[in-house]
Amino acid sequence: MSDMTDTAATVDQKQKEAYFTASQGQLIWQRFKKNKSALIGAWVLIILILSGIFSPFLTPYDPTIAGRNKEYMNGAPQVPIFWDENGFSARPFIYTYERTRSIKTNFRWVTEEKNDLEDRRYVEFFAEGTPYTFLEFNVNLPGKALDFRIPGFEFDTHLFGVDKGMIHIFGTDETGKDIFSRTLTAIKTSMAVGTIGVFIAFVMALAIGGIAGYYGGWIDSALQMITDTVRTIPSIPLFMALAAFIPDTWSAEARFFFISMVLGFIGWPTLARRIRTHLLTERNQEYVLAAQLCGASAKHIIRKHLLPSFTSYIIVDLVISFPYMVLSETALSFIGLGLKDPVNSLGVMLQNVTSADVLLNYQWYFIPVIFFITLVLAFVFVGDGLRDAADPYSDSK
Amino acid sequence: MLQFTKFVIIRAALAVMTLVLVSFIVFSLMELVPGDCAERYLAFKNSQGSVISLADIDAERIRLGLDQPYIKRWGLWIINAFQGEFGDSCIQRLNISQLLGQKFWLSLGICLSSLVLAYVIAIPVGIIAATSKNAFLNNSLRLVSYMGLALPNFLLALMIMLFSTIVFHDSLTGLFSKEFRDAAWSYDKAMDFLGHVWLPIFILGWSATAFAIQTVRALMSDEVGKLYVTAAEARGVSGRRLLMRYPARHALSPIINSLGFDLNRIFNELPIVALILTLTEAGSLLIQALARSNDQQLAGAIIFMLTASIVTLNFLTDVVLALTDPRVRRSIVG
Repeated sequence: MSDMTDTAATVDQKQKEAYFTASQGQLIWQRFKKNKSALIGAWVLIILILSGIFSPFLTPYDPTIAGRNKEYMNGAPQVPIFWDENGFSARPFIYTYERTRSIKTNFRWVTEEKNDLEDRRYVEFFAEGTPYTFLEFNVNLPGKALDFRIPGFEFDTHLFGVDKGMIHIFGTDETGKDIFSRTLTAIKTSMAVGTIGVFIAFVMALAIGGIAGYYGGWIDSALQMITDTVRTIPSIPLFMALAAFIPDTWSAEARFFFISMVLGFIGWPTLARRIRTHLLTERNQEYVLAAQLCGASAKHIIRKHLLPSFTSYIIVDLVISFPYMVLSETALSFIGLGLKDPVNSLGVMLQNVTSADVLLNYQWYFIPVIFFITLVLAFVFVGDGLRDAADPYSDSK
Repeated sequence: MLQFTKFVIIRAALAVMTLVLVSFIVFSLMELVPGDCAERYLAFKNSQGSVISLADIDAERIRLGLDQPYIKRWGLWIINAFQGEFGDSCIQRLNISQLLGQKFWLSLGICLSSLVLAYVIAIPVGIIAATSKNAFLNNSLRLVSYMGLALPNFLLALMIMLFSTIVFHDSLTGLFSKEFRDAAWSYDKAMDFLGHVWLPIFILGWSATAFAIQTVRALMSDEVGKLYVTAAEARGVSGRRLLMRYPARHALSPIINSLGFDLNRIFNELPIVALILTLTEAGSLLIQALARSNDQQLAGAIIFMLTASIVTLNFLTDVVLALTDPRVRRSIVG
């Protein structure tokens, strides 16, 4: 009997010990796990990120003009089916479409569906298609000296395809580009722009917020004044002013890097403010005083005590600011000031949907919107979950 | 009272200082745009068929005062800007204040209305969300405010256009019907205007409302749990009276404080929504100025005016707060 209470007590003791010795990150993770919606958001996010990274494999065709289907422009989504009036098939199939123009159609191009047995196109898995490479980097900055290229690994297997012709499960746009391929590639692009933007914003915020928070005094006041001023200027109009710099002759990659950089420059003030606040509150904590009394150097205190105390908070802040980067990029590309073809992003894909023709006839142009709302929502849920988990008082509420 | 006057004076000086700093940033950025006003105008004339020489460009530069040193031109620009005078636009050669005039006030009015709309909805809804124990209500409110974050305004505008084109065969664009576009203001025109303007106000207010609900809810649920509320409850105050007199009053001041940043957020959405709904106000004028013609003089003026209205709003909210809260007064005056 006494043995049992003893073990219970040890277990309790161990739990308490684990709790009190857990690092900031472990505590946040424990609280985060309890939040259902945030966990679901995290899974969705991971799936979306992976499908973005592996988009060349998951998508059947090249998202640029090279992968267009001349036979099927402005084509509706093709959903693979298992049976029709001609019978059942174990392999899913779609029909053949043919563009014809004759006296019957008043000499306008019309896409005709042929649903005979021999016109079935069977869906294949791990089909061979256009080659693509992984881990290939082609950096083409303005100026020859900065260009470099890392050849990656080349593959030509795609997750699915059809035995004859092409399949477009989300339909095609006006030039015949596959919307499914473009959507997944667009996720990759938006994530990349967001990552670079957040990274630049983070570095600037760390430098400026760090200086302000560590030195305090008049340096802090002056930097605060500048930060607040930058925060008052509406960023999108300002960005539009900056985007007008970009000459038309720049390559798509150069535009891409420029846009990410500008997004980063716009995003830093909020982050800098947070870092400064973290530093200011942590700097006056008793454990810092204790370390100082023990004779620790400033360098040691910053590295061993201050940085670990708020890295987890900074990560949370970065996750929260991520969707706003993605949204800004989308909005700017949408009005034609951000990225341009052949770089794909949601904004690029939505550039020409405001016409009544598209609104009335080609609603599948809006399918990527669902993906992006999901992406941003997943980020918001994860960000919110992380923020709640990082708040040490969230348990008491 | 003396303390209050002192507060207003110091706060006004700070606001002016901020504006000077803003003008410096905006002016420098506009200077960085490749090519200057003289080149741009003469390039435009060249495209119209006149032959332009280098001497013409230099003469035009001197006429516009572009040969003066940078700081001097900035000084002139800022002094004129504070008098509401921004010179001529680079390409159109029209006075900017005339060009913007009504359009700017119209768009500012639209933005402020959507801000008001956002808080008219958010304050009661946020208070209910913070105090009610109804799980279904809370969850659906959370979902709505998440949608406000995830569905950006321009997508919402597109969705509404898609819906109204399919259902009503009218894409709901513009601020005026065709027959009123150039007419003078009259009762009919005002009615027509009100019939159109609700849509941009609603769309701009959409994500502002979502943000505002989240803020109000967070602030209220912080305050509701505090001891002074329990103490008031113990004294027998209850129901709406309790909420309005105790926690709501405390939660209000951070909200008033953040109004300026809410306006900033709405300004960010304005040009894009304006482009989709083809409104002819400052937002889309900005797009024209930047994307179509690279008119830096016009663009600088618009950005400066937008920022000036945010700074003014920040100043006004601080004054209102200082009137009601002695702690705010003491924070600057000391």
